[in-house]
Amino acid sequence: MERLELKEVQKLEGHTDRVWSLDWNPATGHAGIPLVFASCSGDKTVRIWEQNLSTNLFSCKATLEETHTRTVRSCAWSPSGKLLATASFDATTAIWENVGGEFECVSTLEGHENEVKSVSWNASGTLLATCSRDKSVWIWEVQPGNEFECVSVLQGHTQDVKMVRWHPTEDILFSCSYDNNIKVWADEGDSDDWQCVQTLGEPNNGHTSTVWALSFNASGDKMVTCSDDLTLKVWETEHVGMQSGGGFAPWRHVCTLTGYHDRTIFSVHWSRGGIFASGAADDAIRLFVENNESQVDGPLYKLLLKKEKAHDMDINYVQWSHGEKPLLASASDDGTIKVWDLVS
Amino acid sequence: MMDDLFDSAVNFEEVHFKKGYDEGYSHGLVAGKDEGKQVGLKIGFEVGEELGFYSGCIHIWTSAIQIDPRCFSSRAKTAIAQMKDLIQKYPLMDPEDLQVQEIMDSLRLKFKMICSLLHVKLHYNGYPAEANDTQF
Repeated sequence: MERLELKEVQKLEGHTDRVWSLDWNPATGHAGIPLVFASCSGDKTVRIWEQNLSTNLFSCKATLEETHTRTVRSCAWSPSGKLLATASFDATTAIWENVGGEFECVSTLEGHENEVKSVSWNASGTLLATCSRDKSVWIWEVQPGNEFECVSVLQGHTQDVKMVRWHPTEDILFSCSYDNNIKVWADEGDSDDWQCVQTLGEPNNGHTSTVWALSFNASGDKMVTCSDDLTLKVWETEHVGMQSGGGFAPWRHVCTLTGYHDRTIFSVHWSRGGIFASGAADDAIRLFVENNESQVDGPLYKLLLKKEKAHDMDINYVQWSHGEKPLLASASDDGTIKVWDLVS
Repeated sequence: MMDDLFDSAVNFEEVHFKKGYDEGYSHGLVAGKDEGKQVGLKIGFEVGEELGFYSGCIHIWTSAIQIDPRCFSSRAKTAIAQMKDLIQKYPLMDPEDLQVQEIMDSLRLKFKMICSLLHVKLHYNGYPAEANDTQF
């Protein structure tokens, strides 16, 4: 078997507080466009990093500051890569537009009562979802002229909502929370009638503590979730999206990956190539892949590698870049971001 | 047979317990009713005040729409109409109706949504405050 290694390409310094999250710009990294990602931090700023095509090294191209007054917890590029949404503990979500290399704050979404924890665009870039410590999930519609209108306020979680993610192809929203549940939301009627269509919790082999993050595989029929209960769980659905009859194909538990982590797992991300990475409070990055060794009753997923001491402190976020040969980026409480290459 | 000399002594504690219980019970009936009335008055006033606040907002917004039907987006107008329905549905004269809390929660949610839609920062002062512990 070939020996794989997660090689540190670069350590990026610049943020002056813990780095919470990052997002690769989906419109970069192909057709000669250099890779770009955004990172956000407890220092209240967002930084834009761009790869130099000749050296392959990243440098900070812009710092977005003086808009958020508290920690910026989450950031997300629109599918076109033109807009960047940033969610902050100051209870607002800001929308930034890249105007000739300069980032301008073109809109501020207000409505949450307190800390906004996560933000996500749907596949077509027409809807935005945000979630907050106020236990609610908000859906916003993009309107002409960088206007955003609230479509629906979803209440169902009984605690802090940690993350929202849209399905990669369908307008179905997923949220996970401090209440240990994952909720699935869909527009069942035709007029802003968003409802919770499924709750994945303890009775359905769900998590027994805070669910921190979720991520989908490339085809969107599987989802992986990570938790404070030290496990990763894989879920699947028979049919992606709403069925023709209008019914919703529910998600079911496939397997639980236990025994690999001994501290909280804060982040998980599934690459297009089928490898999912986890970032945890033990400062390590682990990679998992489907187990093809055809043992009967063998584990469905196996640990590909574990990178100990990937950072000096908790790893808050990991994400694979887009494209053929993805890079992995990790964000940590140690205030740095690292870019990794999976090499054999 | 002679009465047991110690009967009264044995029952002493029981008798006094019973007496104390009866006294406490009848006193509690009066005091509890009074206290309940005070709590009811307070809660009833708070609920009325909050509903009144929302009714006032709805009244103003509805009037504005009547003057200029294009002053708010269609989504905002729908939400205002839905909130008006919710207020009318509130069982004001039946506090034991189980819908009470559900409708109040929906009203608070709609109100937040309308404020966001209208880009206004309105705040009901009596809104229950939350503990402010930081969590990441």
